[in-house]
Amino acid sequence: MKTVLRTEKLTKRFGALTAVDGVDLEVREGEVFGYLGPNGAGKTTTLRLLCALIAPTSGGAEVAGFRLGREDAQIRAQVGILTEQPGLYERQSAWENLIFYATLYGLGGPTARAQSERFLRLMGLWERRFEAVATFSRGMKQKMAIARSALHEPRILFLDEPTTGLDPDAAKTVREFIVALRGEGRTVFLCTHNLDEADRLCDRIAFFRHKIIRIDTPDHLRAELYGRATEFRLMPSPRPEDLVRVKAVPGVHDARLENGSIIVEAPDPLRTNPLLIRTLIDGGAQIAFVTERKPHLEDVYLKIVEGHA
Amino acid sequence: MTAIAIARRPDRPALVRAVCVREWREALANKLLVGMTLLPPFVILLAGITAVAAAAVNPPSERDVQALYAAAPAVQGLDPKEAVQGFIATYFLILFMLIPTVVPLTMAIYSVIGEKQMRTLEPLLAAPVGVGELLFAKSIASTVPSVIVTWTAYAIYLASVASLGSRAAVNAVTAPRWILAIVVMVPLLTLLSVNLGILISTRVNDVRVAQQIGGLVVVPVVGIGIAQVTGRVVINNEGFLQFSLFLIAADLVVFWLAKLAFQRENILVRWR
Repeated sequence: MKTVLRTEKLTKRFGALTAVDGVDLEVREGEVFGYLGPNGAGKTTTLRLLCALIAPTSGGAEVAGFRLGREDAQIRAQVGILTEQPGLYERQSAWENLIFYATLYGLGGPTARAQSERFLRLMGLWERRFEAVATFSRGMKQKMAIARSALHEPRILFLDEPTTGLDPDAAKTVREFIVALRGEGRTVFLCTHNLDEADRLCDRIAFFRHKIIRIDTPDHLRAELYGRATEFRLMPSPRPEDLVRVKAVPGVHDARLENGSIIVEAPDPLRTNPLLIRTLIDGGAQIAFVTERKPHLEDVYLKIVEGHA
Repeated sequence: MTAIAIARRPDRPALVRAVCVREWREALANKLLVGMTLLPPFVILLAGITAVAAAAVNPPSERDVQALYAAAPAVQGLDPKEAVQGFIATYFLILFMLIPTVVPLTMAIYSVIGEKQMRTLEPLLAAPVGVGELLFAKSIASTVPSVIVTWTAYAIYLASVASLGSRAAVNAVTAPRWILAIVVMVPLLTLLSVNLGILISTRVNDVRVAQQIGGLVVVPVVGIGIAQVTGRVVINNEGFLQFSLFLIAADLVVFWLAKLAFQRENILVRWR
């Protein structure tokens, strides 16, 4: 996959505070890239830097093929940003808001209308397009802001906490929209505190606290920190001799009993699990189900980010 | 699959039109702003027409006439009743020059502080438009309605004086210098007021504070106007040209200062 965003030692200082410290990143076209870090870590500052809204103190970046600092207007035309606040003109209708922004992004009349209709329909707001945004719920405003950020079909969409404060239904619409964007080959740079959401949506994740701590896929991060574990649920509950047999299987690093199951840690479960199943059945055990055991991304986050602090 | 962005930099007329339409819609939906915009011209117009009409009905006393001749040597020699009407009509014309300083100031202040308060500036600045272009569009959005309001008020005043006032009053309000002042100086004063409003708004967050600071712009205008009516200063054609050139220079300098203050990073990082 092509690289659509690359930073080189990107740094931003505000007086004595270094908000973004020598960030090196490569984001590929068509991926959903998660950017995770605690409050005040510098995530919003990174977004503003990459959208050419503020200038770096040092270092550089290439965004959608354009050089930061030299081709800022081109960068802003190629990216979309959802800011922390929806920032909509509340006295004006949803339609008026989108048409205004479509014009600012240089879309001509028919394209502006077609794009506004497309995104209002996608977000389920078409029926209320002529109502003042002030009458909308928080979730509707957030969906409006997302529609505005994607109106000009940006190559990279920067989303800052897109589902914060949304009800499950609205959050689902937003998540589906992100998946649809990925399907179109667009890149999504997702800043979120919602680790479950990051786990579900992101192809890769960067843990960040003023500087990049780690970048990898969620599965690799888990495997690296917690190993790969499989849960074997037996009926009736496992006997001590079952555990002994399991531990003797080649490739098993560790095995333990836990709430009526045997938890097996093995680096290569694709090879080990069939052997384990055969061993247990041959030993007379009844297997109810076999499940991959994934630690929550929250545990991974806490271990990496808090550990780094 | 390679995604394609369809955005480009908007051309300036489209940007100005979009910003104007949006700001005017926003302004019309804000009853307080509409009231604050229309109240000064309404009050000045009402007071001016009433004063001219009252002067026509009530002839001045000898003492009033002597006081008038002393205060405004320019009207000496005219018929006392006509002189009083001419003086009053001219006096209120000066107040008309206050409209382009007061009305656009309010609009310009709301245009920036309103966006600050609604937190709409960040998505606006994320668009591929230059801050100078955006500022220019905002200036036009505040300038055009203010100029139209002033010219409309002047037209109503002219019509009222023509139907109620004496020949001297009509001559006073249709003097070429005053018509030129209304046509040329009103837009220049309006632009100055708008850009001062924007400049002040970059430094304060409260509409009332910005208005109080911006209100100082009326002081020199009132001073020059009073000096002209009382004959202390006679603005001849040369003086008029010089004052117009000064206004053009002041407009450019204040716009440049406003552009300096209205930078993306300043707005996003320092404005609170």
